[in-house]
Amino acid sequence: MTAFEYARTHHHDFVKQLEDWLRIPSVSAQPAHKDDMGRAANWLQAEMTRIGFENVELIPTEGYPVVYGDYLHAGEDAPTVLVYGHYDVQPAELSDGWDADPFEPRIDGDLLIARGATDDKGQVMIQLKAAEALIASGNCPVNLKFLIEGEEEVGSPNLATIVEARVEQFAADVCLISDTTIKSVDQPSLVYSLRGLITMELIVTGPKGDLHSGGFGGMIHNPAQAAAEIIAKLHDTDGRVTIPGFYEEVRALDDNERDELARGDVSESEWAAIMGTLPDYGESAYRRVERVGARPTLEINGIASGYAGDGFKTVLPARAVVKISCRLVADQDPRAIFEKVAAYVRDITPATVHVELRALEFGYPALTPLDHPATQAAIRAYARNWENPPLLMRGGGSIPIVADFQRLLDLPVVLLGFGLPDCRAHGPNETFSLTMFEKGIDTVIAYMHELAEGTRNDA
Amino acid sequence: MTTAKEYANEQLERFLEELQAYLRLPGISTDAAYADDVRATAQWLVDHLESIGCTARQIEVHDQYPLVYAEWLHAGEGAATVLFYGHYDVQPAEDTQNWTSPPFEPERRDGKLYARGATDDKGQHFTHLKAVESLLASDETLPVNVKFIIEGNEESGSRGILQYVQQQGEMLQADVCVVSDTSMSKKEEPIIVNSLRGVVAFEVVVSGPAQDLHSGMYGGTVHNPVQALAEIIAKLHNPDGSVAVPGFYDDVRDLLSHEREQINRDIWDNVSWAEETGALVPWGEENFSLRERVGVRPTLEVNGMAGGYDGTGTKAIIPATARAKISCRLVADQNPDDIVDKVHKYLKKITPPTVSTQIVPLSVRSPAVLIETQIDAMQAAIRAYEVGWGHTPIFRREGGSIPVVGNIQHNLNIPVLLMGFGMSTDNLHAPNEHFHIDNFQRGIHTIIEFLNIFAQSQNSTTEKTTQEKKEEETK
Repeated sequence: MTAFEYARTHHHDFVKQLEDWLRIPSVSAQPAHKDDMGRAANWLQAEMTRIGFENVELIPTEGYPVVYGDYLHAGEDAPTVLVYGHYDVQPAELSDGWDADPFEPRIDGDLLIARGATDDKGQVMIQLKAAEALIASGNCPVNLKFLIEGEEEVGSPNLATIVEARVEQFAADVCLISDTTIKSVDQPSLVYSLRGLITMELIVTGPKGDLHSGGFGGMIHNPAQAAAEIIAKLHDTDGRVTIPGFYEEVRALDDNERDELARGDVSESEWAAIMGTLPDYGESAYRRVERVGARPTLEINGIASGYAGDGFKTVLPARAVVKISCRLVADQDPRAIFEKVAAYVRDITPATVHVELRALEFGYPALTPLDHPATQAAIRAYARNWENPPLLMRGGGSIPIVADFQRLLDLPVVLLGFGLPDCRAHGPNETFSLTMFEKGIDTVIAYMHELAEGTRNDA
Repeated sequence: MTTAKEYANEQLERFLEELQAYLRLPGISTDAAYADDVRATAQWLVDHLESIGCTARQIEVHDQYPLVYAEWLHAGEGAATVLFYGHYDVQPAEDTQNWTSPPFEPERRDGKLYARGATDDKGQHFTHLKAVESLLASDETLPVNVKFIIEGNEESGSRGILQYVQQQGEMLQADVCVVSDTSMSKKEEPIIVNSLRGVVAFEVVVSGPAQDLHSGMYGGTVHNPVQALAEIIAKLHNPDGSVAVPGFYDDVRDLLSHEREQINRDIWDNVSWAEETGALVPWGEENFSLRERVGVRPTLEVNGMAGGYDGTGTKAIIPATARAKISCRLVADQNPDDIVDKVHKYLKKITPPTVSTQIVPLSVRSPAVLIETQIDAMQAAIRAYEVGWGHTPIFRREGGSIPVVGNIQHNLNIPVLLMGFGMSTDNLHAPNEHFHIDNFQRGIHTIIEFLNIFAQSQNSTTEKTTQEKKEEETK
């Protein structure tokens, strides 16, 4: 039985297994889910062992463990592939707008609905099930190393330390990551660049405690208002970030790349599906696809101040807390950008309030050459499973560890994504297409063969 | 024979125990989860009013917590009637980690009684009950008839009592209304508030995408609703601190120079201001003193904001919506509906096409109030402070709002005396709310004196009128 046949025969089992894993609410951001994180790691460890991986272990970190396993029987000449993914998921509460329990997977037509369905348990399962099929077929053409972490959604604070300490163990020719989306179910795409990320918290304080807005309103600079005034100064009317020097290190796009990216621009109908009749926003000199992939941004992810519950409270809030993040592109340095943000915020803060800007996490942007054999193998693997060749794209999201892998292990990172744009990763009712699950497994199997072939031809 | 004041002093410890029992009831009217507690508070109050010798009952009002009504009407023919207003509901106290002792477990420390509602308003209006009790206990009668109307929705808009006073006010008919729900800065300078700002509140909701979006996948192409809301809020004030809404100040009266002089006699310097607020430096309309900014100028204030993720850690989203609770404090002659209308029009005008804005009215709406200082009742109050409190009061135009005050004044056509016994540092609406125990005691004394002095002033008026009539007849 070929690996492809094996995968087709076992598709139903694969879906059941994925559902089992999705039932474990492995939310790394919330301490209340500590035990669930352990259960999700143990589940993965058992699954790796079951399909024939060796050296399976939970590598302890200062936070949640990294799950590792390998299968190294393709021979010394065969390429070695390091597969990275994560078993933690974003927070999800029914009250966020979910139609049903986010941790009780449901199938609606072609869609599997659950938190983590696409990001990233479903896509880790594509890699794992492709490996299972290749091993079961008795012809796994590459050596495999799986490294699945539990802290991606909180910025991977401990992974770099583990990678640094185990450079030999993780050494490979290519790093493969499935944690991105493709253009559509009919149109694969290959993301060759990812944005970096800085997350920050801005705290604006005024009076020592909440005050009565009647007794004091009109003579104290309201911290909620002051926070709003600060936020309002972070963009100009064209949607450009106003922080001095923010765009200094951004690589300019050449015409070829702009043309390539234009093939994957967001169409009007796609836009309307998400935004209704509201027009878009942002730097008018750039296409939407460029604003998301090749331009840095500054985004407000949350704000809280005063009384926002039921009814009304006549309060003049003592403080406002704003969660801010910046998406960065090559060659911006997160720490340098944070300094620029902090300096500007200090600059525009009036004497009437006190501000504190704290960095929570830093992630570097990443870019992988299009002409590398590992990337070329990916283009061919998609082409074998789809009618259309893949679009070449820049991803707007961030996988901070990608840049770390490139730097620490000195290898190219290929993002073999199988999510769909309307999968609602991070939002309520996250979905995963079962068609993509099946095709994804075939594509990964094909990729391993193409990579082995390409490497042999090169040699 | 024991005088009422002596009785009050002897019974102080018991009075405080009773107040503590009252404060233990978490009657939070803004949060439906406390509905049973609010109702239990009303019943406790009825029982207590009965126990001091009044006839008391609950009055059900549509869709609101019951009013507590009590009366003692045996002062005899021709006697004046005093109406006491108070509220038995309290503000929320969800931020319990910031309280030294739990908000609903009253604790006495350093001569103060700490609890939610200690000063706003349970502790303050309890002085009315204890003054009446003391007079009845020592004199076996009262110099005036008294009525109590105590509501349970003051912190949530007073809708029930406002309607009741408007529609069935005749039952509350009296010669004067006394309210103790305000404060002073110094005990040597008690304050009678003769003006209150009005208030109107609403919620602004800014919506963008139909749901939260991944900030990586969409960031840079979607106008972030929190950012858009911030940009809108930033346009609501001018750089000089004035409100930027067109026409906002149209109906505000110009201050006369003698009014400014009277207001500014009540000095609020930057040092005591900084101590009281903990803020760095004052803000607001430069051409007005601090006292004027809160007393005679209208404001627009952000009371709360929420949007996106504010839990532990981070969540990389573009929030679908962002909301802000906003209120305007109003001064004499400003119309609440007109102001909301103006804000609404301005918001529509400054909302960019990339998001949509909705304005949702909240049930907080009242015009400002201004009360004459020369009338008999006010003069009686001044003397009551001099005798009962020990110091002559000053007049203040207060920044806060008590919607029912204007309502009673207008519908019953009687003066409302704001005889507040709180301190401005009592942390009302905030953690560690408290009430000074000596203020509680002196408040009781002041109310006892007021009832006696006001009764005398009414008698002498009546006698004089009778005499005048006789003289006229003789002529």
